[in-house]
Amino acid sequence: MPVLLPFRRLAHLTEDQPEITDLIVSHDPGTLERLPVRKESVLDTFGSFQNRQAMAAVRAIPDHNGFLDRVAVDRLLLTVHWEMQRLAEEFFHGHRVSELLGTVISALRAQGFQGPVRVVDVGCGIGYVIRWLAARTTLPSQEIELAGVDLNSTLIREAARLAAAENLPCRFLHGDAFSSAHAAHIYLSTGFVHHFRAGALDQLLGRHDLPDTAAFLHYDFRPWRLAPHGSWFFHALRMRTAIARHDDVLSTVRAYSGDSLIRASRTALPSFSSGIYGANIWGTPLPRVFHTLLGLRRNLLPVFRNFLGVRAGGLGEML
Amino acid sequence: MTLLILYLLASLDGLLCGCRTAMGRCPLIRLRPYYVAALLRGFLAAQVASLIAIIALVLVFLLTAHRGELRGDLEIAARRMLWIFLPYAATVLSSLALRLLSSTDIRSASSVFLLGPLTAIRPVLMTAGVLFGIYSARLWETRLPGLIVLALMLAVELVLNRLCSRRQSLQIQTLV
Repeated sequence: MPVLLPFRRLAHLTEDQPEITDLIVSHDPGTLERLPVRKESVLDTFGSFQNRQAMAAVRAIPDHNGFLDRVAVDRLLLTVHWEMQRLAEEFFHGHRVSELLGTVISALRAQGFQGPVRVVDVGCGIGYVIRWLAARTTLPSQEIELAGVDLNSTLIREAARLAAAENLPCRFLHGDAFSSAHAAHIYLSTGFVHHFRAGALDQLLGRHDLPDTAAFLHYDFRPWRLAPHGSWFFHALRMRTAIARHDDVLSTVRAYSGDSLIRASRTALPSFSSGIYGANIWGTPLPRVFHTLLGLRRNLLPVFRNFLGVRAGGLGEML
Repeated sequence: MTLLILYLLASLDGLLCGCRTAMGRCPLIRLRPYYVAALLRGFLAAQVASLIAIIALVLVFLLTAHRGELRGDLEIAARRMLWIFLPYAATVLSSLALRLLSSTDIRSASSVFLLGPLTAIRPVLMTAGVLFGIYSARLWETRLPGLIVLALMLAVELVLNRLCSRRQSLQIQTLV
């Protein structure tokens, strides 16, 4: 019964466990300095979930005196992120972000906002979305500042290198995206919010309530019954690294439902209207791979709806 | 004519192998030159495989005692292979054509529901096609080149994958 294979294979992936990339890199929360990671403690964590797939992937990472080899981890991270970019390319993620972001910016401008609009991709990794927007849209010529922020200095260096290689008008910064130095008018992210579990999600969303922040667009996997199995099949075919095969499938298990995201957003951010955009394909019950937690300052909502036009059908209830 | 069609299908397969093995290994945004190079690499690999297959075929022709019979036997086997390979190629090309549509949903779906599964069944289909072709062959001189062609077709992607992987590793080593 080969059809049962993925179901059996996924039994070890549960939403209460972390992803491998959450554990093999650690930073000091204050200084953002990289901290050594003890291999055995990562293995113990996955051992407690009986996740042999993750344990095998971690065991394969070289170590020195019991600590994961930093260079090996960084090389692995780059390989994984290069590979994950393929996912974004295949799902035309740049187009999807551009479409909605453009509408939000139009609404912001129509409300009389002048001057540069700062768009920050939180947890941008190697900065695919920001680089795509810089390369493929006219946003930079419309006084839109495109920036990516991540806590991982290796990924930020790589994002900056790639942007420089193609001479793209965007910036990448190592740090906290919600600090006063990096605060944005519009925040966006991809596959980011599900990393924040339970109370941490409310905290993350609460940090959007900055004086200048007008909107946020958080793209994440849309959970539904077959998503982990579809993801497993897709990754088995397309991905080459054990970490990408594990973490991306686990992401679909950990992803929050639209209701959970909305509830958290409305609790943490009462001054924003929030809802889910693009959950289903063309108004049918067919789910999209990604849905978007969209938040707008309340005054933006009516004009945003107008700019959406026929696409307003893809917008869930905004409260 | 049949052999020519098989050669064209092998070249098409090489092009797609070149593209597939290059995917996820270059994180730039403007990827056209990268993929053109990858396609060319795949095409060249298919030409090398075709050349080896032709050499094997010529050697078999030179060594066989049934030269007159062999030509017809090969023709029948090759024609039977096309029954499997042509519909597969048509489905792959139709799926690729869907990516010309403007809808991101359709383009994404073509990747997940069509191109992914079609890639998954490629080795099985290659094997099935060749085995179906040589199944009714009367001469071992037909079966042997058929199996060599199968090995070559499967090797093209493996070799390209290894080359791309090696190059990617070296590139990443220069970064970290």
